[in-house]
Amino acid sequence: MGVRSKIWTKSLGMMAVSSTLALSAGAGWAADLTVWCWDPNFNGSTMEKAFAIYQASHPEDTLTIEYFDKTALEQKMQTQLAAGVTDGLPDIVLVGDEMAQKFLLAFPGAFEPLTDELDYAAMAPNKVAVATVDGETYSMPFDSGVTGYFYRSDILGEAGYTAADLEDITWDRLIEIGQDVLQKTGKQLLPIDTNDAGPLLMMMQSAGGWYFDAEGNPTIKDNAALRATLETYARLVNSGIVKPVNGWPEYTGSFTSGETLSTYIGVWITGTIKANADQAGKWAVAPIPRLDGVPGAVNASNLGGSSWYVFADAPNKDDAIDFLKTVWGADIDFYQQILVENGAVGSLMTARDGEAYQAVDDFFGGQPVWQNFSTWLSEIPPINFGIYTQEANAALVGQLPALLAGGDVDEIIDAIDAQVQAQIQ
Amino acid sequence: MKPVSILRHGFVGLVAVWSVFPFVWMAVAATNSSADVIKGRTLPGGYLIENIQAFMTAVDLPRVLWNSAIISGVGTVLTLTVSALAGYGFEMFRSRFRERVFAGLMLMLSIPFAALMIPLFVMMAKAKLINSYSAVILPMVASVFVIFYFRQATKAFPRELRDAAKIDGLSEWQIFAFVYVPVMRSTFAAATIIVFMANWNNYLWPLVVLQTNDKFTLTLAVASVGIGYTPDYGLIMVGAIAATLPTLLIFFLLQRRFVEGMLGAVK
Amino acid sequence: MASGVARREGIAGWGFVMPALVLLGVFMIYPILSSLWMSFQVGKGMNLQFGGFRNIARLAGDAVFLKALANTLLFLVIQVPIMLVTGLVLAAILNDQTFRGRTVYRAMIFLPCVTSLAAYSVVFKAMFTADGVINHVLMALHLSDTGVPWMTDPFWARVLVIIAITWRWTGYNMVFYLAAMQNIDRSIYEAARIDGVPVWARFSRLTLPMMKPVILFTTVISTIGTLQLFDEPNLLTRGGPSDATLTLSMYIYKLSFQFMPSFGYAATVSYVIVLLVGLLTVVQFFFARDRLK
Repeated sequence: MGVRSKIWTKSLGMMAVSSTLALSAGAGWAADLTVWCWDPNFNGSTMEKAFAIYQASHPEDTLTIEYFDKTALEQKMQTQLAAGVTDGLPDIVLVGDEMAQKFLLAFPGAFEPLTDELDYAAMAPNKVAVATVDGETYSMPFDSGVTGYFYRSDILGEAGYTAADLEDITWDRLIEIGQDVLQKTGKQLLPIDTNDAGPLLMMMQSAGGWYFDAEGNPTIKDNAALRATLETYARLVNSGIVKPVNGWPEYTGSFTSGETLSTYIGVWITGTIKANADQAGKWAVAPIPRLDGVPGAVNASNLGGSSWYVFADAPNKDDAIDFLKTVWGADIDFYQQILVENGAVGSLMTARDGEAYQAVDDFFGGQPVWQNFSTWLSEIPPINFGIYTQEANAALVGQLPALLAGGDVDEIIDAIDAQVQAQIQ
Repeated sequence: MKPVSILRHGFVGLVAVWSVFPFVWMAVAATNSSADVIKGRTLPGGYLIENIQAFMTAVDLPRVLWNSAIISGVGTVLTLTVSALAGYGFEMFRSRFRERVFAGLMLMLSIPFAALMIPLFVMMAKAKLINSYSAVILPMVASVFVIFYFRQATKAFPRELRDAAKIDGLSEWQIFAFVYVPVMRSTFAAATIIVFMANWNNYLWPLVVLQTNDKFTLTLAVASVGIGYTPDYGLIMVGAIAATLPTLLIFFLLQRRFVEGMLGAVK
Repeated sequence: MASGVARREGIAGWGFVMPALVLLGVFMIYPILSSLWMSFQVGKGMNLQFGGFRNIARLAGDAVFLKALANTLLFLVIQVPIMLVTGLVLAAILNDQTFRGRTVYRAMIFLPCVTSLAAYSVVFKAMFTADGVINHVLMALHLSDTGVPWMTDPFWARVLVIIAITWRWTGYNMVFYLAAMQNIDRSIYEAARIDGVPVWARFSRLTLPMMKPVILFTTVISTIGTLQLFDEPNLLTRGGPSDATLTLSMYIYKLSFQFMPSFGYAATVSYVIVLLVGLLTVVQFFFARDRLK
């Protein structure tokens, strides 16, 4: 049946597509849903589980997942959208939240708005914000990039610091703690990749700031959050408690080997930390520190995260939307399952009342980590990523050596602004 | 040994060790768990079997090997045929017009592929070739790079051989097939290695034009497993080795040609 | 008749090159014309319009582009000669039939260009990190007091990229040289050796002139390869620090795929590479031809 509907689609064009879909809704035609995503152990696995639930009521339907590396997927999709060829695109695609605005605005009409299909009031506000353009929201929000401060509770404990000491602190307090811990243990607190914008973006968003305003215009000058971020970052990295690293393996290797004692990053790092079973019970998670002196600064932020999108020309568009709606948009038990089995913190806020979210985690010393993450998730200041985040990141990273060498923050802000203004013309 | 000889051995030995080091590290990493690789463990570990099993589960190895073999094998044969003919043609039969055409080809060689990818994709879509072997192979067959190589190598081909063959009554095509190809076999051997390797490792274009995992080449498959939020470096290294070995095998099989060459006499 | 011979030669000549020309015509002409047209388009994403020479004007005022151009040319001027000379010396040594272990050495030195990029970038980063093995060795040898800031200092990051490209492509070029050396008639060497011509003179007066076409070939392809350099800076330094290792190809990639896509401007930058290659190739062919006389 799937083959037949494909032949229809190809031979009769758009008219045939709509009539096939009309039939599929009414007469229970089988759909072979195709999905593109990038992690078979994470997002792919959750997608399979979601579909297994859906299949109970739609036994005819099937699911095919094609895996690509994340950057490869983005590049492939962009090439194809730019070529204007919809043939061969999947029904559903996973898009990184930081890329969403760019895709939505660069290729208008490529993705299907889901505003009327899903209850966005029930989803994390920051996730909805990144997928909204001109009042239409396009995504089924998936995993959150809610941040946490992951630390070695055993070693920090020996140095005299308890969980309460790390609760709701500022970055400057963390620097003090770090210097004390360095003196007592000889170990540095944080690995930071000084060629990466991520560590700064988390700071900036925690104060509700970004490079752009709600209309997408650059607000790099006169931006309290950005200025505080640059100043704090320079203090942090130059305080002696940071080990500069380069690239992902060295970064993750640093805190999983015990060379450094903590890191602040999105919740999706949990899998990497837990892969070291011998360190069970030696880790804990606190909220990330907040920026001092910026109005609206909180101890919660976001890095990464992704959402499902449906292509406007998807061969099985209606089935895809129905599937996302029934399982991803409503099934609270499903979210408990993927939390336990995949460590995936979804964006459906009602799911946090479920059993799994309430449970404690022995790896993290019996903390109710998931409950904590969902609390922080609801506190993340929503921002408009805008479409030029990558350009701004490039400009920011280019200025980091100057910043860390003690350069004047005003000049650095001017330089970032000048480069962003030049790039977005 | 004479001082010069020591110097030569020292230099070559140093370069060789330096060249092999990352490969050895990769082989060691393939025997360790991902967590150990990340921590920088440099000793062999006991995870090789597990990593291989994980790789075999994540990748349909026979399938992607077959895809790679077809694409690289057919691609290499076609590329060598078409490009050797052209390189020979441009060098042996010079004319002012063909020189200009050749200069134009050299410019084509220099256009970054990223600039051509989108229109090429449009063409493949119009021809209904998306997600097919042909879409990967065809644009690579007429390689300006290989044409240029054959043209330059042909400059060393003794023209007297061609003249003698002509007197013997061979046609131009027969000369190419029965005189030129055997004489230039070290050039063909080198070109085979280089073209095979280029096809085998080709990443960008196959990625764009192949849509489903069952059409993936080994290189694509290796690039899309073990990645994600918690990369499995042990598995990635097994994949990296699997992707490297076939080209290395071709190199070993063909490198004898460099030793023996056209005269073959060992002094 | 001479003209008959010439015509037959002409027909045969076209016959040999025709399959390649047809294929190139089918698969290259449209993409090239399309990308040329694209280079005159301005705008973001799919909202493109004809902009005349605005993209070319934008180049002059684009500090990032100028930096990428300078970096790329720097890599070209420094790296290509080092790599080609090393490759040639290695080929000369490993072509010597009396050199023990040459089969294994050849394979070892060829290995880098088949080693997967994923493994190679991980290893290189680990080796050259602040407290990596390279710095340990340098400090043990007292060549450096505090270790070299390979990744964080603009100068050393460029050195690192040059080391990495040389590592990966020297063996590759060596293969071309080895193949070319096999095409040289060994009896000429014998005669020269018997006449008492020293090794170095035999290499420079006999080998090098015979290899000139292939040396020209490797020079041209290395020039093109370096002008299109992408993998090494992308994987090792991500163009940093402060864009010190950003290349033109990385910039094209960013403009097309990472940034809000500016396909038109990216195409314009691509044609800057074409222009550079065109100029440099003419120069290289000129030198190669000049010395033949």
